[in-house]
Amino acid sequence: MTYKIAIVLDKARMEKVRSKGVQVKDLYGGYLKVIELEVPDELAKRILAEFPRARIDARGFIEETPIAFKRELFDSVVRMGAGPAAIEDAMRPEKLARIKELASKEDEYLPPPN
Amino acid sequence: MRMSLKVSQPPPHGGRLVNAVVDREEGARMAAGCPAYDIRPTIDPRTGAPIRNAYREVMSIAYGFFSPLDGFMTRNEAESVMRDRRLLSGWLFPFPIIFDVDGEELRGLGVKEGDRLLLRLKGRPFAVIDVEEVWRFDPRDVADRTFGTPERNPEVVRRRFDEKHPGWLMYRSMTGTAVGGRVHVINEPRLREPYGRFWYPPSASRLEFGRRGWRTVIAHQTRNVPHTGHEHLMKEAAFLGDIEPCNGILVNAIIGAKRLGDFVDEAILEGHEAVSRFGYIRPGRHLVTMTLWDMRYGNPLESLLHGIIRQNMGCTHHMFGRDHAAVGDYYDPYATQTLWSKGIPSYGLPAPPYDVDRGLKIRPVNIQEFWYCPVCGEIAYSESCGHRDKAERFSGSFVRGLIAEGIEPPPIIFRPEVYQVIVKWWRRFNYPFVNKRYLETKEAELEVELDPMEVTTR
Repeated sequence: MTYKIAIVLDKARMEKVRSKGVQVKDLYGGYLKVIELEVPDELAKRILAEFPRARIDARGFIEETPIAFKRELFDSVVRMGAGPAAIEDAMRPEKLARIKELASKEDEYLPPPN
Repeated sequence: MRMSLKVSQPPPHGGRLVNAVVDREEGARMAAGCPAYDIRPTIDPRTGAPIRNAYREVMSIAYGFFSPLDGFMTRNEAESVMRDRRLLSGWLFPFPIIFDVDGEELRGLGVKEGDRLLLRLKGRPFAVIDVEEVWRFDPRDVADRTFGTPERNPEVVRRRFDEKHPGWLMYRSMTGTAVGGRVHVINEPRLREPYGRFWYPPSASRLEFGRRGWRTVIAHQTRNVPHTGHEHLMKEAAFLGDIEPCNGILVNAIIGAKRLGDFVDEAILEGHEAVSRFGYIRPGRHLVTMTLWDMRYGNPLESLLHGIIRQNMGCTHHMFGRDHAAVGDYYDPYATQTLWSKGIPSYGLPAPPYDVDRGLKIRPVNIQEFWYCPVCGEIAYSESCGHRDKAERFSGSFVRGLIAEGIEPPPIIFRPEVYQVIVKWWRRFNYPFVNKRYLETKEAELEVELDPMEVTTR
């Protein structure tokens, strides 16, 4: 089974993908812009195993992954496009170690908006 | 005989509301000379986080939310519930309600059947339990039999429960020694803010419905800060009444230890309150309330408990949506609606809860889902909208992800005033969701305060 993962684009991220040919999707009447990546079953299992809080939601999207993972994944998409290779890249052991370290801090504190 | 088409308030489940809250004078008399035991939380063995406190069950029993249940279950009653979802009196009930204790400490206190035990909370007298039975159990076995397995419950259970399921983990983490018997609250607690204004035990909610002139009331279960999908569910489901739409919408939030990543309780209550405070639902038609319960996330079983609680509160209808009170993919997403339309024979319900003897009198309103349709340009009901392939579905997880990344959800999916409530509590806890520190703070503070009370104990 194939799942999906979405990266929400704010203005800064939109700028970064503008010339990269990555398909950007409108959500909720264009209020939100997202990149959707397809995640093959095996890769989905790996993500769920690496991040204990991650889950597949009712839409079939992998959600509740660390913010650090989404950031890393976005950087990989900018470099490699919105395919499974970008996900594999974000899951490389050295990156995972850094993501997990940041994720443990995310569980303790998230700065509130001003 | 002529039958009116008008719906009227149902009786409490089991026929009468339990009221096991006594005044302090009587309470002190009841507790005099009893051994004392401090209620302590159930702890997640993996993380050390508190994941349940049985005081919430004492409150829900004593104030009548769980009527006709009037105490913690004995072995026979728990077995009956796990086998047939029936109390020994025959009334439907979904979960074993078990007061697990430190067996060694209990032995040290010399407590035996027939004794009365004083239960302390925050170091102060709180309740008593009349010990009918002290019994032992295998927590893993109870956890499995409470929720079921794909083999035993193929109609609705999709995969085996494990530590990632908060309800299963709660039972799995119990001590294995239980005390069964009736409970009484002897030192009525005060609800802390913001909880106090949402505290409507069944006798109070029934009075409030009368005061507001609500004949028909539809209940909305929540463990979430509402997005507009929830709001539409409430508004549209309320159209079903009898000769007119339901007079009132009762939001009843489950307050207690929740899974990591859920919204904090304070924001859930005030978020719902903001929906009517800012007029998205007229305040006169909307009442936000709470029940103290460490949610088991048991989808159809949880919905049965919700039906019991809200019938006891006086509701005539209950809305049930997709993935009701669920987490992960343990259950079929429509398991609750299967229960409320056909029954689930393997759970002891060969027919829906309202079509069995000693069942419920609350009417289910089974709703599929609301989504944003870019073709219709509006939030649409899945069974009305013809653009299924274009639908953009709501997802609480997605919204939580947005918030965590510091992106304010657009107003079409989240009311700005509701988001401001999240930010308010985010600043208070330095985190917008339940995390280990929140659970620890919550366990230390609980939702109640108790006044000192003089009791001579053994």
